[in-house]
Amino acid sequence: MKRLLLSLLASCALLFSCQKSDFAYDDTPQGNLDALWQLIDQRYCFLTYKEKELGFKWQEMHAKYSGKLNEKMSRVQLFEVLCEMVSELKDGHVNISTSLDLGRNWSWKEDYPENLDRELRDKYLGTDYHIGSGLKYTVLPDNIAYVVYESFADGIGDGNLSDMLTYLSVCNGMILDIRGNGGGELTNAEKLARRFTNEKVLVGYMCHKTGKGHDDFSSPVAEYVEPSKYIRWQKPVVVLVNRSCFSAANIFVRNMKEMPLVTVMGDQTGGGSGLPFSSELPIGWSVRFSASPSFDARMQQIEFGIQPDLYVSLDEGLAAEGKDSMIEAAREGLRSER
Amino acid sequence: MKELERRYVALSQEDRGRYNWLRLLILIFFCLSSSVSLYAEDYEPVAQRQPTARTFLVGIGKTNQLDTYLSPMEYQGLQVSFLTQSERMTHLAKRHISFQSTFHGVFTSADNPAETASYTGARLAYDAGWHYHYSPLKNLDLKGGALIGTDLGFLYNSRNGNNPAQGHFSVGLSLSAGAAYAFRLWKLPMKASYQADLPMLGMMFCPEFGESYYEISQRGVGHDILCAHPGNALSFRQLLAVDFCLKRITLRAGYLCDIRQMNAHSLKYHDYSHSFMFGVVRHFQMMKRK
Repeated sequence: MKRLLLSLLASCALLFSCQKSDFAYDDTPQGNLDALWQLIDQRYCFLTYKEKELGFKWQEMHAKYSGKLNEKMSRVQLFEVLCEMVSELKDGHVNISTSLDLGRNWSWKEDYPENLDRELRDKYLGTDYHIGSGLKYTVLPDNIAYVVYESFADGIGDGNLSDMLTYLSVCNGMILDIRGNGGGELTNAEKLARRFTNEKVLVGYMCHKTGKGHDDFSSPVAEYVEPSKYIRWQKPVVVLVNRSCFSAANIFVRNMKEMPLVTVMGDQTGGGSGLPFSSELPIGWSVRFSASPSFDARMQQIEFGIQPDLYVSLDEGLAAEGKDSMIEAAREGLRSER
Repeated sequence: MKELERRYVALSQEDRGRYNWLRLLILIFFCLSSSVSLYAEDYEPVAQRQPTARTFLVGIGKTNQLDTYLSPMEYQGLQVSFLTQSERMTHLAKRHISFQSTFHGVFTSADNPAETASYTGARLAYDAGWHYHYSPLKNLDLKGGALIGTDLGFLYNSRNGNNPAQGHFSVGLSLSAGAAYAFRLWKLPMKASYQADLPMLGMMFCPEFGESYYEISQRGVGHDILCAHPGNALSFRQLLAVDFCLKRITLRAGYLCDIRQMNAHSLKYHDYSHSFMFGVVRHFQMMKRK
């Protein structure tokens, strides 16, 4: 009886403990590069698009960067090679996170003028501005509302928004300055956008990878912004943007471009339209990558940014005089719409 | 309360041992189970002498976790679990059919191979069903049947951003089989028992390969509910246990092997755990009031 039971237990253990990960790589330089290459190959959502736009072949990257490895290389050297490989993707959502450093490619903002002088912006806010969670706002002398939202990682509640819009309701227009907003929570971006429409608006599409092939995607699902049931803004709005508007801020600009009475002004946004996922390498380093692409309302890619309705840049001469040419252009535009 | 128990339960007055040093341990399990263990002098087929058995076990063991939605690496660590089981003979098929219900809860803590990230998880499973009992020998009880059950849990990765956790849910029908053999060792009555449960058909939740929880919240989970069968969710639970009697307490020690697997939407999940279980068993039978 005992033998029978032991045999049964052993056979069951052998029969059922058989599923393994497809990710059988060793913690060696080559094993980690293979793992990273496979991770991007199977899960990164913009490979076909990036290969076409940037002119590289991901298949060739494996051999190219394997040639830079050797068994005696240090962790720092391995980190540099791996970061160099994923930098080919030019995606701010692709990072290798280690205790050494954060591997990144921020060319989407570093290669362009920032078009933002924070000290200058603070002068417009003054010292008696209001703070409603992540929002800072004041009324400019020409009765224009000036609102700064620096990061969508800073939460906002419906109460904050209602109080702000009530306070600013006497104004003739609003400047919503999100320059330098590198993203955060999509839900915050949606919550804010809902205050600027009275109707349900189609703002874009979203899909996700359904398999390991480069083009295995689900059917795009339409995304809408529905009007908030609380107080909504009914006057002209200028959204000020720059190259640092990335990820959730990029999605916010996409949404606001579809709203009535909204003008997007400034420079092209930084992009980052892929919802990032996390994974890891055998060495223990965390890897972030774009997993679910978003598109605009015409099913166009916005991974490399969104063009403004009106290009305006920061004038250094005016800045020296204490004036932000982008804010001034927005004020002028709003005054002319009265 | 004592009077009620005296009326409803047939107490064994034998096997009062000499193991005073065990009194503290016995008291702990007495409190845990909130009941008095009532064990017959000898083990006999369940259908005849011990119609109801309630078991409370706690366990600790090793676990191996894989969830490719969160990470391609296998995490290893500890799993703490509890298992409560009630098995009652019914009047069906001339008292050959028993009804069994089981709660199985686990708490998991595991690290990746490089020990730079960890999983924290919990799972609660409940299943209930019927077994047909057959005794080919005086001390041997064989049983086979079916269970309907549900399994709900989560696994949280301490480091991930937009995919920090994975939810697990399944409901389905399992085949179940077991055996119990009563014997004496060092003059002590003992019972070895074994039960294996194999999920056969049901439904389970599995997100698509790169689907975020943000999208799931927007689109609903309808397309993420799949038919579960051994081809895509080959899972298995087996418990090998030995019951032994000390004074009036029946203790159970055993080995629990819990294999949970899923392979769907190009994602793989498994939770292999092997635990040592220990606890108490309470046997009694219901009697009608006069």
